[in-house]
Amino acid sequence: MPTCTEPAWLNRWWLSHRLLILLAGLFAVFPFVLPYTALANEIMLFALAAVAFDLCLGYGGVMMFCQASFFGVAVYATALTLLHLTSNLFAAIAMGVLAASLLALVVGFLATQRSGSYSVLLTLAFAEMIYFIAFQWSGLTGGDNGLTGIKRPNLEIPGLFSVSLQSSLAYYFFSFVFFIAAFYTIRRITLSPFGKVLMAVRENEQRAQAIGYDTRRYKMAVFVIGGFFMGLAGSLYCMYICFAHIHYVHFEVSGNIVMMVLTGGMGTLFGPVIGAFIIVLASDVASALWDRWMLIMGAMFVFFVLFARGGLWGLFEKLMRVRLRNR
Amino acid sequence: MTDLIIAQAFNGLVLGMIYVLLAMGLSIVWGMMDIINFAHGLFFAIGAYLAFTVASWSGSFLVCLLAVPLATALIGMLLEVTLLRRLYGQNILYQILMTYGIAIAGRELIIMIYGPVGKSFDQPELLTGVIPIAGIFFPIYRVFVFGLTALLTFGMWFVIEKTRWGSIIRAGTENLKMVSCLGINISRVFTLTFGVAMAIAGLSGVLAAPMRGIEPFMGDLILGICFATVVIGGMGSFAGAVAGGLIVGLSQSMVTLVMPSASVIIIFMVMAAILLIRPRGLMGIRD
Repeated sequence: MPTCTEPAWLNRWWLSHRLLILLAGLFAVFPFVLPYTALANEIMLFALAAVAFDLCLGYGGVMMFCQASFFGVAVYATALTLLHLTSNLFAAIAMGVLAASLLALVVGFLATQRSGSYSVLLTLAFAEMIYFIAFQWSGLTGGDNGLTGIKRPNLEIPGLFSVSLQSSLAYYFFSFVFFIAAFYTIRRITLSPFGKVLMAVRENEQRAQAIGYDTRRYKMAVFVIGGFFMGLAGSLYCMYICFAHIHYVHFEVSGNIVMMVLTGGMGTLFGPVIGAFIIVLASDVASALWDRWMLIMGAMFVFFVLFARGGLWGLFEKLMRVRLRNR
Repeated sequence: MTDLIIAQAFNGLVLGMIYVLLAMGLSIVWGMMDIINFAHGLFFAIGAYLAFTVASWSGSFLVCLLAVPLATALIGMLLEVTLLRRLYGQNILYQILMTYGIAIAGRELIIMIYGPVGKSFDQPELLTGVIPIAGIFFPIYRVFVFGLTALLTFGMWFVIEKTRWGSIIRAGTENLKMVSCLGINISRVFTLTFGVAMAIAGLSGVLAAPMRGIEPFMGDLILGICFATVVIGGMGSFAGAVAGGLIVGLSQSMVTLVMPSASVIIIFMVMAAILLIRPRGLMGIRD
C-alpha cells in the first residue's frame, strides 16, 4: 500500500513539468530581483530565441548562422506594421512571426539543398544579404538610423476590455505568457514522434533516409519552426524596445544566440535559458566596465569549445551524477 | 563613357583579384581541412595593420610585402598547432565556433592596440601616379596590384597542379583518409597549408590597404564577400575561386557605375542566382 496520498496523475504531471514550473517561477521573480525590468525582459526574449535555436541545433542537428535574420526581420515587420498598418497588438506579432517564418522557409529550402559545412555557409551568405538589403533599403528600414516612433499597443479587444502595457512590468508579464507557452510548445515538439525523427536525423542522416524518412523535409521543418519562434522573440522584442535597428539583423546577434546555446548546453532546452541569462547579464555589466569586453566573449567561445562542450547544464548534470554515485 | 567603363572594369578586375587571393585560401582550407575559417577576414585585417606598422617603421612598402605575409603565416601556423588541431574530424560546428571566437578576440585586440578609428595608408611613392594606356589613365598602384596578384595566382596554380605538395592538397580534398593511409604526415601538411592560406590572406590585406584604408572591422566585411565568392565558385576548386573572385569584383564595380548603393547586394544576388541554377557553385567538385 503506497503511503502517497496524492493522485498518481498529479505526481506524474509534477515529475514531467517540475523544471518548467521552476523556470516559470524564476522568470516571475526576475523583474523584482534584477536591477531593472528592461534587463529581465531582454534576458527572457533572448532566452526564447536561444531555446528556439537549440531546437534546431541540439535536436535537429541543423546549424545555421542566420538567427539574426529571422529575429531582425520580425523586428522590422512588427515595427512597420505598427507604423503603417494597424496598432493592433496581435496583428503586429502575427506579421513579425509570419515574415520570419516565410524567410526561414526560403532560406531553409535553399540551405538544405546542400549538407554539412556548405549548408552553414549558405545560411551565412543569406544572412549577409539580408543585412545589406536592410542597410541599403533605407526608405523602408531607416537604414543606419533605424525606425523610431513605434508606439507599444495595449492589450485590448475593442468593446470588451483593455489592459495597458505601457509600463515595462506589465509588458514583461505579457511577454512572459508567450515565453512560457513557446517554451512548453518547443519542449513538446522535442518529446513528440516528430522530435524523435529529428534526433534520428541528427544522429545519422543516412540511416534515417534508409528507414524512409525524407530528411530534407524534416530539416526544412526545423528551419521554419526555429524561424517561427525566433520571429516571435523578435516581434516581442520590437515592442519592448519600441525601436527597429539594423543591428538586429547583424551577424553579431546570431553569434550571441549561438554563444548562449553553447554556454548553456545544446540539446537541453533549459541550458540555453541559463546561457541567455549569463550572456545578456555579462554583456550588460561588462560593456559598462570595459569597452573591449567582446575580447572576453571571443575567448569564451574558444574555452567552451575546448573544455566545456556540454555547456553549464552539462557540467551541472555531470556534477549531479557524481554526487548520486557517491551517495 | 567607354573610357569610364573600361577604367571601372579595370578597378573591378583589381578588386576581383584581391577576392581571388582570399577565396583561394578560404577554399583550400575548407576543402582540405573541412574548416570554415571565420578568422580568414581577421588575417586580412592583421595583414593591413601589420603593413601599417611595418611601413611607418621601415618606410618601405617592399619590406611590408615580404615581412607581413611571413608574420601572418607564423601567426596562422601557431593557431593551427595550438587550437585548431584539437578539432579535426569533429562536428564542423565546433570549428566554426572556435574560429568565430578567434575572429572576435582578434578584432578586439586590434582595436586595443590601434584604436577604433580607421587609418589612412599612403600609397608607396614609387607606385603613385597614372600611366596612360590607349588614351585611358590607369593608376600605377592598381596596375602593380593586378600584376602581382596575377603572378601569385599563377604561382598558386603551378604549386597546386604541378608539385607534390599540390597533389597532396588535391588528393586530400578528394579523400583525406586515403591520403593519410598512403603514409603522408597529414598534420604537417595541414599546418603548412593553413600557414600558406594565412600568408596569402595577410598579403591581400597589405595590397588592399593603400586602396581602401584600414579600419578594425575591415575583416568582417570582407569575410562575408569571400564566403559568397567561394559559394559562387564552388568549394575546393582553384578555378572556381578565380572565376568567383573575378565575377564578384567585376559585378561590384559595374553596378557601382549604375547604382552605387547596390554594389554589395549585387554580390549576394549573383550568389543566389548561381545557387538556384547550379547549387554546387560554378566549378564545385563536391557537396
